[in-house]
Amino acid sequence: MPKAACRFLVTLWGFICLFLICAPSVSFCADIGNCLLCHKYPGLSRVDENGKLRLLYINEAIFNTSMHAKVKCEGCHPDIQKIPHDPAKKVDCLIQCHIVEPSSEQKFSHKDVAEFLKKSVHSPLDADGKPKPFPEDFPDCKKCHDNPLYRPMSFNKMMLPGISVTALGRCRVCHKKDDFIYQFYNHVTTRLRRSRNPKNIAESCARCHDNPILMKRHNLSTKAVYSYGESFHGKAATFLDERIPDCLDCHVNPGESVHQMLGYKNPQSAVSAQNKGRICANAECHPSATPKMAEYKVHAEFNLNQSPVRYYFTVFFIALTGGTLLPLMGIIFLDCLRRLFPNTVLIQRKKKHE
Amino acid sequence: MKTFLSKIYIIGFMVLTLGFMALIWKVTFHQIIVEYQNRKKSEQITDMRKEKERLSADPTFQSAIMEGEERVKHYLGYRVLEDTRIEGHFHHIDFNVIPDKGSYCITCHGDIPHDKSKELRAFANMHASFIACQTCHIRLEGEKRTGVFKWYARGTGEITDSPVKEGVLPGRYQAKIIPFENENGRLQRMDNPERMLFAAEFKKKEPELSELQKTKARKIIHNIVSKQPHICEDCHQQQAPILPFKELGYPEKRVNAFISTEVIGMIKNYTKFYMPRMLHPGQADDGSTPSGDK
Repeated sequence: MPKAACRFLVTLWGFICLFLICAPSVSFCADIGNCLLCHKYPGLSRVDENGKLRLLYINEAIFNTSMHAKVKCEGCHPDIQKIPHDPAKKVDCLIQCHIVEPSSEQKFSHKDVAEFLKKSVHSPLDADGKPKPFPEDFPDCKKCHDNPLYRPMSFNKMMLPGISVTALGRCRVCHKKDDFIYQFYNHVTTRLRRSRNPKNIAESCARCHDNPILMKRHNLSTKAVYSYGESFHGKAATFLDERIPDCLDCHVNPGESVHQMLGYKNPQSAVSAQNKGRICANAECHPSATPKMAEYKVHAEFNLNQSPVRYYFTVFFIALTGGTLLPLMGIIFLDCLRRLFPNTVLIQRKKKHE
Repeated sequence: MKTFLSKIYIIGFMVLTLGFMALIWKVTFHQIIVEYQNRKKSEQITDMRKEKERLSADPTFQSAIMEGEERVKHYLGYRVLEDTRIEGHFHHIDFNVIPDKGSYCITCHGDIPHDKSKELRAFANMHASFIACQTCHIRLEGEKRTGVFKWYARGTGEITDSPVKEGVLPGRYQAKIIPFENENGRLQRMDNPERMLFAAEFKKKEPELSELQKTKARKIIHNIVSKQPHICEDCHQQQAPILPFKELGYPEKRVNAFISTEVIGMIKNYTKFYMPRMLHPGQADDGSTPSGDK
């Protein structure tokens, strides 16, 4: 074969590879029903009879980088059978969607999550199956979750999704469909660690656990996320540290579903008196910590009702700091003022002989 | 000069000192005040808790209207996706629309005003995000008609360059299209200062007006509104669309899309076509009529 032809074939192969790498990112779409014919338009919206904003726009590019990218629209909205359709019914996250779960080869459903949730402290029913007070306050799926977005493994890549081209090459040795490879790669690498940043997790919990009305209704003594934010862990989370423990790391037993969160009085809970030492001494956190470390008040708050001793102790130091520094700054300010207007007198003193 | 510089230096130092004082106040005594206020609020909530039934049943203005405007940043590593969080909304939107301060219509009718026609309301609201109300709701006839349309900035109300020409993505335009009329040989915006002033004054004085006065004012404000607004086909057509797409900065590809079979076909067949049967294998076509079929 002449050299020129070889070069051409190599270049062509290069272009094909490049196409295969780039093209799948735009071909995940599960919009077989052509719903995006209408729903691709930003601004598609209305205000419903209850005064709630119904935003009907689907951002295809964002949706394709989400964990539901392969789910067809009608997988979640099965009531929509025709166009134009009636107002869509509320989505039931527990229905079977059209994705086949590979290990069981059955249609996928989030029913197991509901089972975990039933046993958790977030269930609206108590152990006897009776509704707890204010059952409407307990979270449903969408209270905590919006459409989860992929955060691939190579997290330190700041400009592009952290997809390792080398790893994809290894996938291609056995797997032929690039759609599958990308989806699988994104899914697995995202699922290997937390799918949300600790700050995002804390914000999600804060919607209820920092809400004073909900706290009062359910007799919660501390603003959990506010006090977390005051701790070393929370400060690091504010600076977007990915390694810092978030709410789920401490409140869920290692290896269990995050939906199976138990109250601190439950002896099986990760934060029960007998277990919380083990959580701190986790191999990834403070492996040499003794159980005493867990006695440290993680959710300590500057709050008279929570702890009067800590409150008055803090007030003393606040008064000491403020009472020293504020007058000092005041004196510096007045000194500057005198230097600025050396001869100005606001109130004339009356001369003695007058 | 030396004296002047030393004065500037002293003033700078004073500003710095004041800044430090504010900071020290905020991290010290202000904390005590905040804690006290929170404790009082908590006591109030305890009282409210006694009214359990009322709390559960009636949404307050605060909970129904004021809350739900939370901004959320999703940290994905390679990018930060910032969204407005809408309670119960699952999908991410990834765009922001700043309020339209140039329109006097939306001060009464709101940003998402269309609600009557079930088939059209969402589409009409979508168009309202980049088209001023006057564009569709006023049919200019005869000498008044100019065929001139321009973009105005939502934030300032001033005429601005076409965001399409500047490469802004659809849905992210911070501008709207407004028609121009011919007023005694002069080209003027439909939302001219006199009309805006009249509407603004009505809005301001509305609580003091009698019902008759309100009716009079409303009639005057709406006397330019056509009984029949422009319909979809007035723009989405190949022969003589109302909007001069090219002059508004739309490239040929987008113009072709507006008047393509996809859009025109959708409008024409909107009430007739169905989800393809292939999506529901094994199900018989029951021949039911779509709800919107008229």
